[in-house]
Amino acid sequence: MSSFEDRKVQGMIFNIQKYSVHDGPGIRTIVFTKGCPLRCSWCSNPESQEYGPELACNKGRCLGFDKCSYCLDVCPKGAIGADAENLVHVNRSLCGDCPHLCAEACPAQSLIVYGKMRSVEDVLSVVEQDAVFYTRSGGGLTLSGGEPLLQHDFAMALLREAKKRRVRTAIETCGMIPWETLHGASRLVNDMLFDLKHMNSGDHERHTGMGNARILDNFKRLAGLQNTPPILVRTPVIPDFNDNEEAIRAIAEFLRPFKEGVSYELLPYHRLGTQKYHFLDRIPSMGEVQLDKKRFSSLQDTAQSILGDRLVRTD
Amino acid sequence: MYDYAGCDCVSPQEQRLLESIEGKENMFRQTHPRVFKMLERFDGQKPRIDVERALYFTQSMKETEGQPLPLRWAKALMHIAQNITVYVQEDQLLLGRAGCDGRYGILYPELDGDFLDIAVRDLPTRSQSPATITEEDAKLVIEEVAPYWKGKTYHEALSKAFPPEVHKLTYDDPEGLISRFIVNETSSFRSSLQWVHDYEKILKRGFNGIRREAEEKLAALDPMSPVDNCEKKPFLEAIVIVCEAIVLWARRHAELAYQMAEKEKDPIRRAELQRMAEIAEHVPGEPARNFYEAVQSQWFTQMFSRLEQKTGTTISNGRMDQYFYPYYISDMNEGRITEEQAMELLECMWVGMAEFIDMYISPTGGAFNEGYAHWEAVTVGGQTPEGYDATNELTHLILKSKREFPLHYPDLAARIHSRSPESYLWDVAETIKDGSGFPKIINDEEIVPLYVSKGATFEEALDYAVSGCTEARMPNRDTYTSGGAYINFAAAVEMVLRNGRMKKYGDQVLGVETGDPCSFASWEDFWEAYKAQHILFMKTAFIQQYIIIQLRARHFAQPLGSAMHDLCMKHCVDLHQPRIPEGIDLGYFEYMGLGTVVDSLAAIKKLVFEEKRLTMRQVLDAIDANFEGHENVQALLRSAPCYGNNDPYADAIGRDIDRISVEFGKAYSKELGIHNDVRYVPFTSHVPFGKVVSATPNGRTEWFSLSDGSSASHGADVNGPTAVLLSNYNTKNMGMRERAARMLNIKFTPKCVEGDQGTEKLVSFMRTLCDLKLWHVQFNVIRKETLIAAQKDPAKYRNLIVRIAGYSAYFVDLSPDLQNDLIARTEHDNM
Repeated sequence: MSSFEDRKVQGMIFNIQKYSVHDGPGIRTIVFTKGCPLRCSWCSNPESQEYGPELACNKGRCLGFDKCSYCLDVCPKGAIGADAENLVHVNRSLCGDCPHLCAEACPAQSLIVYGKMRSVEDVLSVVEQDAVFYTRSGGGLTLSGGEPLLQHDFAMALLREAKKRRVRTAIETCGMIPWETLHGASRLVNDMLFDLKHMNSGDHERHTGMGNARILDNFKRLAGLQNTPPILVRTPVIPDFNDNEEAIRAIAEFLRPFKEGVSYELLPYHRLGTQKYHFLDRIPSMGEVQLDKKRFSSLQDTAQSILGDRLVRTD
Repeated sequence: MYDYAGCDCVSPQEQRLLESIEGKENMFRQTHPRVFKMLERFDGQKPRIDVERALYFTQSMKETEGQPLPLRWAKALMHIAQNITVYVQEDQLLLGRAGCDGRYGILYPELDGDFLDIAVRDLPTRSQSPATITEEDAKLVIEEVAPYWKGKTYHEALSKAFPPEVHKLTYDDPEGLISRFIVNETSSFRSSLQWVHDYEKILKRGFNGIRREAEEKLAALDPMSPVDNCEKKPFLEAIVIVCEAIVLWARRHAELAYQMAEKEKDPIRRAELQRMAEIAEHVPGEPARNFYEAVQSQWFTQMFSRLEQKTGTTISNGRMDQYFYPYYISDMNEGRITEEQAMELLECMWVGMAEFIDMYISPTGGAFNEGYAHWEAVTVGGQTPEGYDATNELTHLILKSKREFPLHYPDLAARIHSRSPESYLWDVAETIKDGSGFPKIINDEEIVPLYVSKGATFEEALDYAVSGCTEARMPNRDTYTSGGAYINFAAAVEMVLRNGRMKKYGDQVLGVETGDPCSFASWEDFWEAYKAQHILFMKTAFIQQYIIIQLRARHFAQPLGSAMHDLCMKHCVDLHQPRIPEGIDLGYFEYMGLGTVVDSLAAIKKLVFEEKRLTMRQVLDAIDANFEGHENVQALLRSAPCYGNNDPYADAIGRDIDRISVEFGKAYSKELGIHNDVRYVPFTSHVPFGKVVSATPNGRTEWFSLSDGSSASHGADVNGPTAVLLSNYNTKNMGMRERAARMLNIKFTPKCVEGDQGTEKLVSFMRTLCDLKLWHVQFNVIRKETLIAAQKDPAKYRNLIVRIAGYSAYFVDLSPDLQNDLIARTEHDNM
């Protein structure tokens, strides 16, 4: 496709985050797309899972109906009402396909919409605002999700156009996508962030909804190719899922043979996404569990004993 | 995808605090035993007022009435040098202080003598920067000092000299003691603007060298010339006297050290005292011969300078890693000193700085400089006068000391430029990450070309030293010392909304009666009304400055500072005179509340005039009610574009506002004979200035602090730190030269700069700041939780150091208002 056409391609985006310093080299901007094939129980971005726009309701910011009723006045479906504390409540069964006038009217950002169709041109104009920072730091654009390659046409158009404009790119993938798609994207990006969550397919399926066969297969093919960009493999360490010696050892052993350009990082579980489940009237399935700091550190030791300085430590 | 977020991460400073709460010893105590011992002696002490300087100064001034001012000042310094108590402190390796043991402050009755009697009674109990005074000393002030100065001080003369229309925007009382906090003059609570001496000259030539120069010039005067007789002769005599005075003062220290050495039983300390005495006999009269002598010579010079006058923000220290370097490296090469010994000497100096408290007696001065503010700016890094990188081993040693020395002294400034070595920037970044807010970053790429455009040579501009909070001085070319106006432009917005009035001051018309804002048909009408208020404030500030410049020379002289200045010596003119041939007068006025004003105007423009989601009446009603019952209007106003987000809508307004300031400066600076340029550096004054401004259209509630410097309004910068930098860049009028410093505060969580990766990214961040030619940035690396905990439990957190406004202070020394202001600053993370 020509650059002219690429620039017009649209994607469903739920966030563009500046000054990201933990997702690829240098100072970066992350573009988050909506839609994911997995349903990880610990997911910290629940708004990223479904493809379509979603109305979120943050009661903490609501001024209360005694002070403000802008949303009530504009809802065409009668889906908005007051809860016991006179704060906004969305009746999800009535709320449906509409342009979310309520969120537009809300002055307090209590009602917001996750997800908006945006063109490659629009997204890149935001990304390029920080170009002066990429120059110095070796940073650039990181395309993330959801699973960004689910929106294949948009992702490819964005990466092509970014490359044309000399914006360095990275993609963050869960690997659960057709090989051809992954392969195509890998030819365009400068860095890859690849999630490996568990080597045991049964455990993987129980906590993400899908087995890991395709992910592992994709990884092997990708890492085996010549001219593949550097890959940073990442494992979120999740209590009662993979926060044990055996699980981490298995991943590290799996990675050991892929020497060229494959490094590894463990990410500690955190609960910062919990609130967003409530905004979407969903229940976070992880409950109150927390990751033991010492255990996390010792799991890093384990991985380091196998991978040496290919392990990127986070403490 | 899974976000990156880690375990709890704290800065090294927070770690040390947590350890001290657990009762563990500071990890650096072992390697710095001497300075820790000295520090423990005054830890947590409230400063005491020492009245000797005020007393001897006053005694001498009584005797010399009618004589030329520089001469009177020199004689007063000689009287002080002869009589003031000299001290040799336990464990200390350096000699020279301006008052008693421990934390102390001294008085400058030439500034505030007329109300000192009242002030000394209030000092111990006032909320901002309190101090103690003995009953005996208070009596001396009340009976022997204060009465002489009634009717003679500068601020009394100034208050009388202002025309009524200027007076009413400046002061809230007829005597001019209480500020209006609208167009605030700052020339009366300090003897001068920030200043930095050419210390190198003293190290190389000594005061005896300067004295001889003055004597030769005296001998060469035209005996028939009236100018030579009336102007140059007394000036040069003053130089001779002041050079003799400082040498005499040093020798009195030498004598005392000899006496104590004789009595000393410990042979190690006896040898130390012996050496201290020998050094004090030699410097600062003669040139320094080694590192120890250089440090002692510099210290005598800056302490005597503190006795000479109250330099705004404390006298700065200049490019310490440059002028000490030749002595350091030759001592190191010859094996005469170790790194540890050199660091110990420097830290003995930091201890001396920490004991001296720069007291502000007037209520306005106190509000400007909360938490015992101090900016003795030690400059490191930057470029040589030839334009090469200037960093050296001493640069790194000073940075190391900054990480290990437990107090917020000295104020440290790191100059950076486009070719600053990676090793230097890493060291700077590691120091910032320690979390106490040091060093502040000052950018050569903005300052050097700007100063050249204002008339300096490249050599002079490349050799600038950071002075005070964020300013830069060329110590032999700069000649301007009058404090400039701090202008509350948020009040201009309020005056548009209230037809020239302010809620705080009732029906009194203070500004321009621009009409009922509900009658404005378009945004242009509103903008013109703002502009009218803005220009009225500028006009007032420039009239103030004109009068200030005329008056000050009759009240202040600075023979010691003049002795170190090439141009003063060449032309035989005191540094406080308004016209010094060949000098460059870099003055400035302060734009207070940039974020507050931009956000307010953007909200009005967008919501009232463009989208028409609100009527002007609704906005006014909401503001009158301080948003109570109008929370929806407040929320809507807050949702408008804000400064600090790299939002072209808001930034364009910011640039237009800046444009009014620089254009006015360009038009009328010439009449003042100075560069009177716009600056965005509030110290802590955005808090008291906020206290006179009612609710503003950016959703800010009444009396809350204004936005500070060129930082965004509290919590308004939601797009991260890169956007804050870009907004700064976007709001400058780069095509014009009428700009001075811009102060920028950025708060990072420790997590955001964690590990080598974090350091690397902080370095790139600073390099980009350099590319963007932003003047200054300073960082707080601290968790909000720590600040909140410290506010609740001050006793445990009394050693917590935070960055405020070009300086760092103990968090618990700050007023609750300023503490809240700090907590409310947006914390940048990367979740």
